[in-house]
Amino acid sequence: MMRILVIEDNPSIADAIRQMLEGQKLAANVVGDGEAGLDHLLRQSYDAAIVDVMLPGMDGFAVARSARAEGVQTPILMLTARDGVEDRVKGLDCGADDYLVKPFVEEELVARLRAILRRGDRPVVAAIDVGKLHVDIGARSAAYDGKRIEFGATEFRLLELLARNAGIALSRAQILERIWDYDFDGSSNIVDVYVSQLRRKLKKFGGGSIIETVWGVGYRLTT
Amino acid sequence: MILRTAALYLAVFICVLLALSVGAYAFVEREYASLMGPALGTPEAAAGMTSAMRHVVATIATIDLPLVLVFGLASYALARAAIAPVEAARERERIFASDAAHELRTPLAAIASVAQASRATAPPESRAAFEEIARTALDASEIVSGLLTLARDPRPGVLQCEPVDLAGVVTACVRDLNGAASAHGVRVETQPGSAIVDGDERRLRQLAANLAENALRYARTTVRISSLQTPRGCELIVEDDGAGIPEAERERVFARFYRRERDGTGNGLGLAIVRWIALAHRGTVTVREASLGGASFVVTLPQHPDV
Repeated sequence: MMRILVIEDNPSIADAIRQMLEGQKLAANVVGDGEAGLDHLLRQSYDAAIVDVMLPGMDGFAVARSARAEGVQTPILMLTARDGVEDRVKGLDCGADDYLVKPFVEEELVARLRAILRRGDRPVVAAIDVGKLHVDIGARSAAYDGKRIEFGATEFRLLELLARNAGIALSRAQILERIWDYDFDGSSNIVDVYVSQLRRKLKKFGGGSIIETVWGVGYRLTT
Repeated sequence: MILRTAALYLAVFICVLLALSVGAYAFVEREYASLMGPALGTPEAAAGMTSAMRHVVATIATIDLPLVLVFGLASYALARAAIAPVEAARERERIFASDAAHELRTPLAAIASVAQASRATAPPESRAAFEEIARTALDASEIVSGLLTLARDPRPGVLQCEPVDLAGVVTACVRDLNGAASAHGVRVETQPGSAIVDGDERRLRQLAANLAENALRYARTTVRISSLQTPRGCELIVEDDGAGIPEAERERVFARFYRRERDGTGNGLGLAIVRWIALAHRGTVTVREASLGGASFVVTLPQHPDV
């Protein structure tokens, strides 16, 4: 039976989540504050954690960040009553895998949790190095020649995809499908727009030519 | 914002200073000429005048340059003093909105999650009641989010922008809509044409979903959702074959809490949020008569500069 750690200080919500998880044949262990939650994450092995952002003492962001800093790879689903863009980005930057706004629909909580549990099965690649390019997947940050470059969420996913397939040419259609999940017939220039943005940012650090255009195919990250 | 305002102050000052300097130069030149009188005709006097005027230019420059420097600093300080409180107020407003949302959503989340969790163990006769409680709490939370959105100025600063293809927004919207559409017995047609904008994908999906939900409410048989690139910009169009919206009502439908039908469906915020999202993207939304016969909502957004 899979074990899920629930770090949530509101007892009604925590208990409801426990019931929902048990309905899915998942064992839930509920903890009411951040420090204790982090302690559980560090000492015990869980298949996933559901972490509320607003916790007494140490908040959910800090729990996720400290757990990741200690090398804990447990998938984390952040739960928050705020839907501000800043919080969303901050949650993902702290190493959370997904983000759900309260109040939530039970089916959505279950679906998101299942998705991050599946991700947990994959061998974990913490970082990819391609030449001078360093892509830190866990921390969602990238550096070229040792200098950190700020990328937007989609830009980072594209860079990660190119880095995972370094040396292999990916077609625009493949990239569209993997990053955007667009399944319409017809063409879109969105990939080219993003590639030119990536190139522009990399160029400032001398890496302007690492993404090659493969004529008639698509793009490739040079090794 | 501060730098822009400071630059504006400085530009105005430099213009005034330039006019004064040119005026001073012209005045000195005229006075000099009238002092010299007819003696100015000789080559020596003319050379003397040229060198004297050169001296005048140097003097004006030595006065002007430090003035520009001093005023440059002063305009930065002034702009900061004028803008900082406005930005601080905006920030306080943002924090208040976010805090208020949190305070309201936490109890709603407790109601919704307890009601949802209780469905499974509840006796069959009260299951529907738990469903209803959960749905109402979720709807209330939706209204909280909507109001908090509308309470803020629709500026690009409140968005998380990146290049977004409206064709992708349209396809995702149609995919999410299919269940609800077949429940209404309505067919969804789609024509996603590539049109790339600098936009907030989450917000644009919300815009499309709100328009689609509205169209679904009035359509008889068909809803058509499309995107295309036009010389006016990128367009996202949602049409239905319902009764349409009379000319007189076309502006009012975007007002918050305006409902065309008093049948209790919808929260009256959907189209107000559509307009807010369009404005925040520096775009527009208008209603026309659709080729299908009903209403056609046309959202026009500026094209991404890199395309």
